[in-house]
Amino acid sequence: MTHARALLAWPLSLRLLVLALAASVVLIAAVRLGAVSLTFSSVLQAIAGRGDSTTITIVRELRVPRALQAALVGAALAVSGATFQALLRNPLAEPYTLGVSSGAAAGAVLTVVTGWATRYVWSLPLAAFAGGIASMLLVFRIAYSVGNKQTLDTRVLLLAGVVVSAFLVALIWLVLTFADTESVRAAIFWMMGSHAGASWRSVAILGVCLAPGLLVLFALARPLNLLAIGEPTAAYLGISVERTKILAFAMATLLTAASVAVSGTIGFVGLVIPHAIRLLWGSDNRGLLPCAALAGAAFLAAADTSARSIAGANELPIGIVTALIGVPCFVWLLRRPATR
Amino acid sequence: MFLRTARHVIPLALAIVALTAFTACRGNERRQQTHASAIEVTDDAGDIVRLAAPARRVISLVPSATETIIAIGAVDRIVGRTRYDVAPEIATVPSVGGTIDPSIESVVALRPDLVIGWDTDKRRQVRTKLATLGIPVLSLRTQDTSDVFHGISHLGRLLGRDTAASRLAASIRSQLDSVRLEVTGQPVRSVLFVVYPDPPMTAGTHTFIDELIGLAGGRSVFSDLSQLWPTIPMEEIVRRRPDLLIVPQGELKDDSLARFRSRPGWRDLAAVRAGRVATVPADLVQRPGANIGNAARVLQAAIHPETLRRP
Repeated sequence: MTHARALLAWPLSLRLLVLALAASVVLIAAVRLGAVSLTFSSVLQAIAGRGDSTTITIVRELRVPRALQAALVGAALAVSGATFQALLRNPLAEPYTLGVSSGAAAGAVLTVVTGWATRYVWSLPLAAFAGGIASMLLVFRIAYSVGNKQTLDTRVLLLAGVVVSAFLVALIWLVLTFADTESVRAAIFWMMGSHAGASWRSVAILGVCLAPGLLVLFALARPLNLLAIGEPTAAYLGISVERTKILAFAMATLLTAASVAVSGTIGFVGLVIPHAIRLLWGSDNRGLLPCAALAGAAFLAAADTSARSIAGANELPIGIVTALIGVPCFVWLLRRPATR
Repeated sequence: MFLRTARHVIPLALAIVALTAFTACRGNERRQQTHASAIEVTDDAGDIVRLAAPARRVISLVPSATETIIAIGAVDRIVGRTRYDVAPEIATVPSVGGTIDPSIESVVALRPDLVIGWDTDKRRQVRTKLATLGIPVLSLRTQDTSDVFHGISHLGRLLGRDTAASRLAASIRSQLDSVRLEVTGQPVRSVLFVVYPDPPMTAGTHTFIDELIGLAGGRSVFSDLSQLWPTIPMEEIVRRRPDLLIVPQGELKDDSLARFRSRPGWRDLAAVRAGRVATVPADLVQRPGANIGNAARVLQAAIHPETLRRP
């Protein structure tokens, strides 16, 4: 996780401008494309609230909130992944490293199996959110109880995350083994992740959850840079290491848990988008975090648009699309010689 | 300084989330109350479906319900189906995707005045979504034969075809009765219905398949299991020694017998060794709809072939 050589020496403003443009193009495409083919002019009219009421519903109630939710989740996962990679100094770290996804899945499965999800629609996202946070707290508790109890050893934290995750997954499958087929189906669909449930309400809730997390992490970019060099150095340079770590972990977890709650676990974005940005423009978190947010938003909105328009009315699980499109792009980026 | 303020942000954000989620759900409950109208049905999910007039544009997300709609002579009302539908009558009707993962915008674009959904969808995502868009959803349960009759009567009411629906129900009842009558006095055969061979899965009690097997003079060797579609250990199958395997064909390819003869565990069963493996068409016996009369007949032919009168 040291400073990789960047491919392009663009100023930050240019990078942000290009990525913002890309995200806007993707969002326009996301509203334009879908299982139902609509003309561009009818989409524009529908956005303005004119024309056919069915088209207005499709555009304003279905496509726009769904595109926004995908973009928000993409931004959150990418920033969260970048933060975890910086904090844990491990290139394989991702938003789910500390067991947030398994904790969220455990919460979700609990509501499905007990039938709460059927009775109270909001119980599933709420339980998923709570499960994600609880699992992170458990991981922290374990990490703090090992070795020097005053400081947080990130290697122990990483291991604790992996084992807690494995434990929770085992627990989920234990429960599902005795659950009925319909619960298993519902749980698997949830774990595959989807933005099909997006609504203005989910976008609003997500926005409220994500804004503080994103802002705090952007503001922590410099301390994160110093932490990436090494904790003693960071402490020497006047960073309160423990506080920064805890705050960054908490905020990254908040981003992940909120995302998972509305859309289930969506892999790959949080792992690969930060690496792609690092390969392009280097690993200074001050540039990396906002760039990853925009790139993650564009990438996931594009993946979701493909998932719901490629095979007509048959929606593909979004995780399939993120990996099928993302992996070749990433390998291409990885193999390009550094031009500096 | 900054860190200290940020620490207060977390609980605040959490509180806002919890609050928003809570108020959001209350708004949802209120929206479901609409004014009284001409047709009213309480569906299998316990929700009230109200229509001002019989539905004219119906999307069926449940293949067995699609078959029922066709059987009550309302095929012209179906404007959307799923990718799982096989009925030739609706081959040209556009598909809106899967049963629990349809493309909502495809549903909306077809301007349905009624959507038939699946009560067993545990997340209720489709239903919630359509309800907020003001599209009425009839949720159907598809577990046992009583669900089939509920479904027929609900669909008859909502499509304005009550008479056809009661005629259909009566004819299914008489089919079931005649099967029951014809196997009376026959020994009850122990049967294993093989939903899936590896890992072995069968139809538990309370499923319509289990009911139909009972009706056709058989008894599932796993009728004591309360799960709907239990996965069972191979050695338990060996221990319970089913006299006959019934295998839905379509899921498995042809020559099921040869396949079972080559599978460890299965090939040692007396039923397999003696070639007592009956195949039945999967589309017929795995769709709890208007066809259960025929399904019972097919199961009768599998379990008690001697009772079928030769024409």
